[in-house]
Amino acid sequence: MQKRYAVFNAKRIWSKSLLVSILFFLALVILGRTFGAYNQSQLASVATLFIGVLSVTLLTGASGQISLGQGAIMAVGGYAAALLVLNLGLSMWLAFIFAILIAALAGLLLGLAAARLTGPYLAGTTLVIALAIPTLANRFESTFGGDVGLSVDVGNPPMWLSKLLGEIGIEQWQLFVAIPFSALALFGVINLSRSRTGRVWRAIRDNEVAASLHGLNVQRNKIIAFVCASGLAGLAGALYGFRGIVGPSVYPIDLSLALLTGAVIGGLRSITGALVGTVFIVFLPDLIGKFTNVFKVSEQISNYLPALVSGVLLLLTIVINPAGLAAAGSHLLKRRHRTK
Amino acid sequence: MLEIKELVTEFASVRALSGVSFTAATGKITTVIGANGAGKSTLLRTISGLERAAHGSIIWEGLDITKLSVEAIVRTGIAQVPEGHAVISQLSVAENIELGALFRKRKARADVAKSIAEVYELFPILFERKSQMAGALSGGERQMLAISRALVSRPKLLLLDEPSLGLAPLIAEQIINVINDLCRSTGLTVLLVEQNANTALSVADHGVLLALGKVVAQMPASQMIADESLRAAYLGY
Amino acid sequence: MTQFITAFFSGSSHGAIYALVSLGLVLVWRGAGVVNFAQMGQAMFTTYIASQMIMHKNSYWIAFVTALLAGAILGSIIDFGLMRPLSARKNSALLASESMRTTIPVIASLGVLGILKALAGIIWAGEERGFPSPVSTNGIKFGTTTLAFTAFDLFVIGIVLITLLLTTIFFTKTGMGLAMRASALNPEVTRLSGVRIKSVRTLSWAISGMASSLAGLLITPSTNLSPNTLDLLLIVGFTAAVIGGLTSLVGAVVGGFAIGYVISFVNVYSSPENVFLAILIFLMLMLFLRPQGIFGAKEVRRV
Repeated sequence: MQKRYAVFNAKRIWSKSLLVSILFFLALVILGRTFGAYNQSQLASVATLFIGVLSVTLLTGASGQISLGQGAIMAVGGYAAALLVLNLGLSMWLAFIFAILIAALAGLLLGLAAARLTGPYLAGTTLVIALAIPTLANRFESTFGGDVGLSVDVGNPPMWLSKLLGEIGIEQWQLFVAIPFSALALFGVINLSRSRTGRVWRAIRDNEVAASLHGLNVQRNKIIAFVCASGLAGLAGALYGFRGIVGPSVYPIDLSLALLTGAVIGGLRSITGALVGTVFIVFLPDLIGKFTNVFKVSEQISNYLPALVSGVLLLLTIVINPAGLAAAGSHLLKRRHRTK
Repeated sequence: MLEIKELVTEFASVRALSGVSFTAATGKITTVIGANGAGKSTLLRTISGLERAAHGSIIWEGLDITKLSVEAIVRTGIAQVPEGHAVISQLSVAENIELGALFRKRKARADVAKSIAEVYELFPILFERKSQMAGALSGGERQMLAISRALVSRPKLLLLDEPSLGLAPLIAEQIINVINDLCRSTGLTVLLVEQNANTALSVADHGVLLALGKVVAQMPASQMIADESLRAAYLGY
Repeated sequence: MTQFITAFFSGSSHGAIYALVSLGLVLVWRGAGVVNFAQMGQAMFTTYIASQMIMHKNSYWIAFVTALLAGAILGSIIDFGLMRPLSARKNSALLASESMRTTIPVIASLGVLGILKALAGIIWAGEERGFPSPVSTNGIKFGTTTLAFTAFDLFVIGIVLITLLLTTIFFTKTGMGLAMRASALNPEVTRLSGVRIKSVRTLSWAISGMASSLAGLLITPSTNLSPNTLDLLLIVGFTAAVIGGLTSLVGAVVGGFAIGYVISFVNVYSSPENVFLAILIFLMLMLFLRPQGIFGAKEVRRV
C-alpha cells in the first residue's frame, strides 16, 4: 500500500514539473520570437543566468551552504566546453554535456574541501577559491588563453530551423540554444527539490545535529549538493561563455555576487524566486538606464547606480523579509485567498 | 522588597512558570525549593531579565522591572549568581571581580575599590589566587568568585541559583553560611534557589515550594522543614 | 642572501598590514559573531576620503587622522544601522534555520561591500589614483648599498607595532577592554555584571573600522586606489585570521605576519603568479589540519 502511494506521488511530481518546464520553454520561445535583437540577447542572458541562480538556490537555499565561488564554477564549465570544442573538435551540444560533468567534478572537489566548514569559513574559503581559479587562466596562458581568453560562439543555426522559421539572427539563435538547457535545468531542480534528497538537504540546512542523529549522512549529502549545484553552474558558464569569449573578464567575482544577490532578492528558497532574481539582475541596468536618461544623470553615477541599487535592495530584503520577493508574493496571495 | 505576581514564562509552547506569586521580604533570606524542572532557574532568570516574562509582573522596591533589560535591572541593585558557569574561566580572578564593578566605576571609584577589598576579606583564598585564571580554581573557589563578582556591584537583592551544585557538602555549607552571615550583617535581601532543601531551609526565613511551574506552598522556613507530608510529596524524603 | 633579506623585509612590512586587517576581522568576529566581508570596502572608502583631503591641500597627517575617525564612525554605523536590526529580527522562518543564521550576516556584509564600492565609484569615479606616502619610498642607503627596504616600510612596521601596543594596553589594562574580552568569552555573565553588551559590540565594530582604515592608508601607496584594489587584501586578511585562529587576537597578528612571509617568499623565490595558489594551499592545509588555527579555541568543523 505504501509503495503504491510513493509511486503515485512520484508520478505526480514528474508530470507537474514536466508541465511547468514545457510551459517555461514555450514562453521563452514565444517571447524570443516577438522580441527585438537586444531583448533577445537579454532573454538569452535570463535563460542562461537562471541556471546559475538555480545553482545558488539549490546550494544555499536548499542545503544551507553559502558559496561565493559559483561564478568560478561557471568559469570551469565555460573553459571546459571551449577547450573541448576548440581542441578536440567536439560539437557544441556535446561539449555542454561534458561541461556539466566536469563542473560537477570540480564541485565534488570543492565539496570535499568545503562541506565540513560553516558560515563565514565556507564563504571565505569559496571566495579565495573563486579568486584563485581565474588566476589559473593566467598561470597556464598557453592552454587557457590568459587574460584575453578563448573565442567561441554558438555558431550558425541549422538549415532545417532557418527553413522553418525564416531568418534567425545570432541573438535569437543564442536564445534558442539556451532555452532547452534552461528548461531542462528547471525540470531537474524541481524534481530534485521535491525528492527525498531535497528533503534531506532541507533537514540538514535546518539542524545538522538533529539530521545526523536521525541517521542522515550529513557530509555525503552536503557534498552531493555541491556536485549538483556545480553541474548547474558549469552548464550556465558554458552557455554564458559561448556568447563570444571564455576568459577571466567574463567570470569576475562580481558574477558570483550577482548570482547570490539575485537569488536572495528573488527568494532564496523558491524556484520562482530564482527566476524573479534572474530577471532582476539582467534587466536592472536597463531599467536604471531609462531612469538616468530621463533625469539626465551623469555617466559617472549611472555606471555605478545598478550596483548601488542591488546592494541596497539586498540589504532591505535581508532586513525586512529574508525569504525574498517570492515569499512576500506568495504571502500576499495567501491573504487574498483567505479574504475571498 | 521583591514582589512576584502571577509570573508566566514560556519557552516555545512549554510553560516553565504558570502564574507564580510570592514576596521576598527585605533583608531576609527567601528560598525557592523544588524538584528538577520545577522552574526554579527560570524564575531567577526571569527576574534578572535573561528571560522575558509572557505575563505577570515583578515589582522590586516599588519599581516594575518586568520589562527592563538585564543591564538596567542590574543597576536597580539586583545581582544574579547564575547556575553552573558563573565565572569566566579565561579571565583571572581579579578580572572576574573587576567585571562585576565595571558599571559602577565612573560614579563611585573609591567605593568600587572598597567593595573589592571587602570581598577579598570575605574570601581570603581569592586574594591569594588573584592573578590565577578562574579556570584553575576548584569548584568551591569558583562559586566564591561568582558570588564576589555579584557582591562588588553592591546589590540590594542577591539571586543565587543553586550555589551548592556540584560542591562537596562541607564546602557547600560553608558558602551558605557566608551568605547567611552577609544577609544578617548587611541587610542584604537574598533569594536562594536550591535543590538541597535541608541546608537552604536551615538558614532561610521564608520558604517557597515550586512544582511544575506553580507555587505549591509557601510558609516560614521553620514550618516548612517540620512539614513532613510536604517533604515526602515534593522533595522525596 | 640578498633575496632572502628582500623577502624578509617585504614580508615584514606587508605582514604588518595583513596583521591589521586580520586583527580587524577577529575583533568583529569575537565581539559580534560576524565575519565582516565589507571590512576592506570600509578601508577603501575612508582612504578615498583621505585622498580627497590631500588633494585639497590638507596635510597627510590631518587626512590620516580623519580617515581613522571616519573608519570608526563607518564601522559604528554598520553595526547600529544594519547588524543590530538584523539580530533583532526573530519572526522569520528563514532565520529559524540554523545554517541561515550564520549565513545571513555574511550576505549582509557582502551587501555593504557592494554598496560601498558603488558609492565610491559614484562619488569619486572609478578612476585609479595614487596615494602619497609621508616618508620616502626609496631604498634606504646603507653606505654604498641600497637595501630593498624603504623608509616607508619602517614607517609601516613602526605604526603597526605602536597600534598593537596600544591595542594590548587597551584590552588588558582598561575597563572597556575587559568588558570587550568578557563579552566575547561569556556574554551572559557579562550582561549579569551590568555591562551594556550592545554598546560593547558597536565599539568592536568601531575599533575594527579604525584598524581597517589604517591598513588601507598603509597599503595604498603601493597598490594605488580604486574601488576594487583592496579586495585581495580581504582574502589575505581572512586567510591570516584563519591561520592564527579566528578567536584569537594574538593569533590574528601572528597569522598576518605568517602569511606576509609566505607571500613575499613565494614572490621572490617562485613567481608572483603563484601567490594566489600559495594562499589557497595554505588556507586549505590549515582548514584540514587545524581548523581552529594556531591559537584558536573553538571548533570550526562539524562532526
